[in-house]
Amino acid sequence: MIKDIAAIGNAGILSFIQALNINRLVSSIARPFSKFSEVFSKFSTEGKIGILGIICIILMAVFAPVITMYPPQKITGDSLEPPSSRHILGTDELGMDIWSQICYGARMSLTIGLAVAFMAGIGGGALGILAGYMGGHIDQGLMRVIDVTMALPSFPLLIVISAFLGPSILNVILILVIFSWAKPARIARSQTLSLKKNNYIIAARNYGAKPFYLLWRHIFPEVMPILLVLVIGISSHAIIAEAGLAFLGLGDPTSKSWGMMLNHATGFRSIYFTPYWQWWLLPPLFMLIFLLLCLAFISRDMERILDPKLKIKKGF
Amino acid sequence: MADDWMEKDRNSFIFRLLLTLFVILAINFFLPRMMPGDPFSTTSADEVGEEIIVMTEEQRLYYINYYGLDRPLHEQFLVYMKNLMTGNLGRSIYYKMPVSDVILLHLPWTMLIVVCATVVSTISGVVLGTISAKNRKNGSDRIMMTGMIAFAEIPSFLLGLILLLFFSVYLRLFPLAGAITPFANYNGPAKQAWDILYHAFLPIVTLSLSQLTGVYLLTRNTLITVTTKDFIRTARAKGLGEKTVWNRHALRNALLPVVTRTGFMVGTMMGGVVLVESVFSYPGIGMTLRSAVVGRDYPLIQGILLVIAVSILICNLLVDKIYGKLDPRVGI
Repeated sequence: MIKDIAAIGNAGILSFIQALNINRLVSSIARPFSKFSEVFSKFSTEGKIGILGIICIILMAVFAPVITMYPPQKITGDSLEPPSSRHILGTDELGMDIWSQICYGARMSLTIGLAVAFMAGIGGGALGILAGYMGGHIDQGLMRVIDVTMALPSFPLLIVISAFLGPSILNVILILVIFSWAKPARIARSQTLSLKKNNYIIAARNYGAKPFYLLWRHIFPEVMPILLVLVIGISSHAIIAEAGLAFLGLGDPTSKSWGMMLNHATGFRSIYFTPYWQWWLLPPLFMLIFLLLCLAFISRDMERILDPKLKIKKGF
Repeated sequence: MADDWMEKDRNSFIFRLLLTLFVILAINFFLPRMMPGDPFSTTSADEVGEEIIVMTEEQRLYYINYYGLDRPLHEQFLVYMKNLMTGNLGRSIYYKMPVSDVILLHLPWTMLIVVCATVVSTISGVVLGTISAKNRKNGSDRIMMTGMIAFAEIPSFLLGLILLLFFSVYLRLFPLAGAITPFANYNGPAKQAWDILYHAFLPIVTLSLSQLTGVYLLTRNTLITVTTKDFIRTARAKGLGEKTVWNRHALRNALLPVVTRTGFMVGTMMGGVVLVESVFSYPGIGMTLRSAVVGRDYPLIQGILLVIAVSILICNLLVDKIYGKLDPRVGI
């Protein structure tokens, strides 16, 4: 009797699985992957190198405790040991392991880059879309603010503000956001202005679509890809700015970012007359340049893939 | 009608510059006043053995009165503006002399490398861009462009560090720091000029390289657009030599955007120069800003920020004027 019920139960489960249509299930799981590889194959060789490089750096940052033997801010060896089996990249003047500092430093650069890019990209983009959609005085006012923000000399101001407010990661992120929201806002605004003249949007509005629905369903998805390209550019700007500030001695003193390592190494007296620079100064220098090149390759390729006609002004 | 529009556009341009200047002045004024406490309530020593000055309440009140910190904010702002107009930027805490004197002492060095780098990068960018545009159908253009673009992504101070490590530390070709050889006796002005150039060489190269790609790309792309125009075909059809077509017809038109770019370049360079000077320990205002930041010399920090900002705005204004002279289509 009990067996029978179990058998019926099994049969029920079986028929249920059959009804689910395994093919569709498998394909629905595999679809993101195939889509990813489809997008990936569109990238040029440089773009592929860029993506792989970024993945490597992210893995390095995430698994920093696993791939390093020592904590980054603990004295684990003699002062200024050359690279050896105990310390892969040697130690700095206090005897801290440089390889651990590099791995944990990746976290800092990536966090700043991502946080600033998403806050500035999404916040600025949303402001731009709203202003472009509403028009009128709000739009004019926002444009004036954008003009002034873009004309401000950002790096000297960054130095002064962080000198006054005191160095902390949060301050650095907030200041960088204040200086980088204008570009995505301007581009989102001009996109929205040209989009809202399209017939399908006018038609949707005539059918009684509310502004929020229009913005969310029609305008935002169209502006999103361009914002995504900008976000990569902003993140590399933020990483450069953080490294520059840290290099000047305005980084968060409790963290060991790559810029801070450069600051400590170049601040060390007579570093250029000793062989120390070879393992103390070169690793953070190369990691920073590698990260920035990877980001640049990706953003160039994404620009090309999204729209060959689209030319976003670079350099400012 | 068109003139009206131009006039309005120009007015809004100048209005924008003034607004930007005002924002910078406001930031400069309000930042130190927004900080908790006042500069006289605590003076702490960072290093052991450093003197700790404790002020009595009377002295504190005297200083607050002296600097006018007890008056209403708008009065303070007016006094601040009045001081600025008369060129009074306050006194540097570290150098113990007026901020304007400190800046005047260091500004010539910065001007030297920025002006030289502007000239070098503009000329070499135009030349390389022209070569690239002429060879558009060969592979050399593609190789040059990929290289230049990758190059442009390296920020100037990292580039400076690489150049310093390679040329000064590894090859020992160039000096590590400074703008002149200390305690040198020069036999003549030529020797002195050589020494100054020798020290300024790497900073100039670094700044030029960081700006080169922008000029290069702009020249190349404008030239390629211009050469498809009808008047170039006409010039060729009437039998002009290839050299004349390029130099007199194509390049002359392609140079207009380069002029604009040069003005903005000075602006971006003034931002980057702070870091580049720190890398080479070059005694310009950027290096002074770094030491002012390290020493928390607030009046000096504010003064330098103001000088950098004003010079950027002046460059933008100059570009606007020069552009109007070069291109008769933009009426002044």
